[in-house]
Amino acid sequence: MSKYTPAVEIGLNRMREMARGNFDLHWMESNPDGWGHQVTPGATGLRLRDVETGHYAQVPEHGSSHGSMAPRGCAVPDDVPGLGMYTMNEMSEVWAENAALLYDEAVVRQWNSVTDVPWHKLQQLPDDIEKAVCQMCTGLCEVEFVAGDMPAKWLCRINHDFHEVKLFLATQIMDEARHLDVFRKRALANGGGLLMASAGQEELLATILEAPDYTTASALMHIFGEGFVLTLFRQGEFLAPTEVEKTIFRLCMQDEARHVAYGVKHLKYFLERHPDRTEQIHKILDLGEQAIFTLTLEPQTSEPRAILAGGGIQNIELGLSRMAFIYGKQVKEYLRRLEVAGLDREPRMTIPKEIPWEELAA
Amino acid sequence: MTRHTGAFPSTGWFKALARRMQENEASYRALGSIECTMIVKVEAPGENDLHEIAFEGFGVKSIRRLDRIEDAAPDHFVLEATIDTWREMIDNIRAHGGADLEHTLNYLTFPDDPMRVEGPDQLEIDTFYRYNESLQRFFDGAAQVTPT
Repeated sequence: MSKYTPAVEIGLNRMREMARGNFDLHWMESNPDGWGHQVTPGATGLRLRDVETGHYAQVPEHGSSHGSMAPRGCAVPDDVPGLGMYTMNEMSEVWAENAALLYDEAVVRQWNSVTDVPWHKLQQLPDDIEKAVCQMCTGLCEVEFVAGDMPAKWLCRINHDFHEVKLFLATQIMDEARHLDVFRKRALANGGGLLMASAGQEELLATILEAPDYTTASALMHIFGEGFVLTLFRQGEFLAPTEVEKTIFRLCMQDEARHVAYGVKHLKYFLERHPDRTEQIHKILDLGEQAIFTLTLEPQTSEPRAILAGGGIQNIELGLSRMAFIYGKQVKEYLRRLEVAGLDREPRMTIPKEIPWEELAA
Repeated sequence: MTRHTGAFPSTGWFKALARRMQENEASYRALGSIECTMIVKVEAPGENDLHEIAFEGFGVKSIRRLDRIEDAAPDHFVLEATIDTWREMIDNIRAHGGADLEHTLNYLTFPDDPMRVEGPDQLEIDTFYRYNESLQRFFDGAAQVTPT
């Protein structure tokens, strides 16, 4: 009786055959349609877009039924087992025409919080300014990683035939890790620390994570949530007291704009094929709008920005009036992005387009 | 370091920035490649000046002066400001070797005053945000361009 399992015995028998010069080699002729592929690297190197041509560019509307991890375009033998875990098999559920481009862009535009931020230029700031920066960083740490959790939740369900999307979402998870990391570092690096978490943020983030399907989650997160955060990053750069925060926000802004670009193009692709799902998207945006408006009114969210916008706690009211402008900008850009995606949201909006600060103050 | 010359606004001035970018390619590689078309609109009394700068990879693919915005590549964003605003930004860059905290492109455009970013749609405007660090470095190249 062999001391090995049957699987090991089969392996040993195969090795014996090879040792005698009996090789199989049938894999060498397994994929004639995919062989002889020609690629031309571009001026910047070899991008995903440069290799996904011809045979390899054929993305099926319905992802492979074998349900394995076999890469798109290879030969799949009949005995390759399906894993039964890829439940998102329709291209329209995940696809965006810019997914490969954004993946290429993400991998060459990565940065790191260890060496790309001029930490040595941190300066001691007035107490109110440091507290405002630290509270803003606390809020961003809280919000940032949901944008990693959400794609991570869906990534393992996406059919491998849509690898451009999977790869892009993987870069987004890394981007969000970096954002959490850099805002935590900033809060802890200048004599301050983390301040207060936010119930309002938790409510909005839960809506994203609990969305019933990927596309509604994406509309809520990529377009709505990240669109608003993108404006906050722009505002962060604008208000930054030192070159350190300036650099952080500029680098984060770039990442966030990629995520928004994917979300817009995905929703466009989806709605062109499923116009009957428009109402479902509107409904999730109703929830998002309500949640963000509640969030906007929370002191730990609005006051630190108002302090920075006013230049100090003594000018917090002036800062709040300036914040009203930011809100209007966020809403305008949100509506314009949805317009690109083919969704006329303005008549359905559940929150005001502008905050009448002067009126409210009076 | 090579110094370049050019008068703002002119195709020559933007070509001088493009040459700076070429000489400094390693630093742009560190930021990552860039693919977008930027229109610089300089508003002056009686006449607006339009310059189209197309970026590809780690450099500038083409620069041309436009007679009207309709002649621009379909995918683009526009940075627009008065000539005084542009000159103040460039003077600041020259004085500090790069934009100070209150003269970065984002700082100037975020409140829509004194500079604005526009485009045919929001996604095109968003490319300005996507490549912001590279675009800032491109304009910071003005520190090495001597006005003529």
